[in-house]
Amino acid sequence: MCLDDQILNTYLDGELTEPWRTQVEEHLTYCVACKTRFEQLRSLHITVSGARLDDAEIAPHADKVLQFIEKNYMEKKLKVGFFQRDFRMKTPTLLAVAAAFVFVLVGAFMVNPGVQSQSGELIPRVPSSTEGTLVQVRATEGLAAAQVLENFPLEEILKYLDSRGYEVDLRLKTIVPISDEGETTP
Amino acid sequence: MEIKSSENESFRLVYKEVFPVVMRVAYHVTYNMDVSEDICQEAFIRFYEKNIDFRSIDEAKYWLIRVTKNLAINVVKRKSRERAMVDKIKKVPKMPIRSGEDALIDSETRTLVREAVEKLPEKLKAVLVLKEYADLNYKQIASILKISESNVKVRVHRARKIMESMLDREDIHVS
Repeated sequence: MCLDDQILNTYLDGELTEPWRTQVEEHLTYCVACKTRFEQLRSLHITVSGARLDDAEIAPHADKVLQFIEKNYMEKKLKVGFFQRDFRMKTPTLLAVAAAFVFVLVGAFMVNPGVQSQSGELIPRVPSSTEGTLVQVRATEGLAAAQVLENFPLEEILKYLDSRGYEVDLRLKTIVPISDEGETTP
Repeated sequence: MEIKSSENESFRLVYKEVFPVVMRVAYHVTYNMDVSEDICQEAFIRFYEKNIDFRSIDEAKYWLIRVTKNLAINVVKRKSRERAMVDKIKKVPKMPIRSGEDALIDSETRTLVREAVEKLPEKLKAVLVLKEYADLNYKQIASILKISESNVKVRVHRARKIMESMLDREDIHVS
């Protein structure tokens, strides 16, 4: 039995598996008709694949396309903004940074404990009764009245705060400045 | 070797190795150099932008060939639709003059072969182009086209049969 074109083509492409490959090889040694047909198919294959695009024809296009991609894609990727940047760091470094942050934060409170004592001075002190009887505090009379904040003129309060090292910014909120233009327009 | 398609080094490596193959695939499907260049550019841009991890350079190559083949076939389909309305001004590919020794076939035969390939039905054309111009084996072609190996075998055979009859009709001495 002779070989059909499909088997010959498969054999030609080196895709025929054993045991068929050996059988085909053997058959081709003595069957002139199949050998002739095989040669025809082989020359067809050579002719068809010989019509391929040359490497020399491809080269300029390869350079052109690569340049385009380099210019428009690769270079643009390099210019990464601050927030798109990758901030990955190794675990020991990250731990060290975290520890330093905690140390500074805790240290700040330990070094500067005077926040509460300063605010205590601003609050008017009411004399506490030592006998344990109820003392009525009124804003209009007595020592308590004298120490209420609104009894001091603004200048004095400012002077006092200034001497304690506070910087006070005073602003009048409800008064709208009179514009000159508003006056002149009829 | 693992390939990350957005890494410049990997990209260049793949590009150098695969561009000629991809260009050949695009060209033998469309038979137009400018169109093929655009197709290859598009395929490589997609490759770069998708940021895909490939297990090997071959995997990357098959991906690129598949994308290129699809783009090229789409162009041919679109072109054939347009041709129905407007007469196509055929771009005759420039034939560089080859020195006699390394020329396997003469330029006239080459033109006829290319015209015959162009006339093949889409499915047979894809298989034949990958077989004859991309130098892939049946298994590789099967994985790129997502068909079975035996299907590839049958299509290669059919494509060659049609090629033979077309070239015979053109009275080409195939020997």
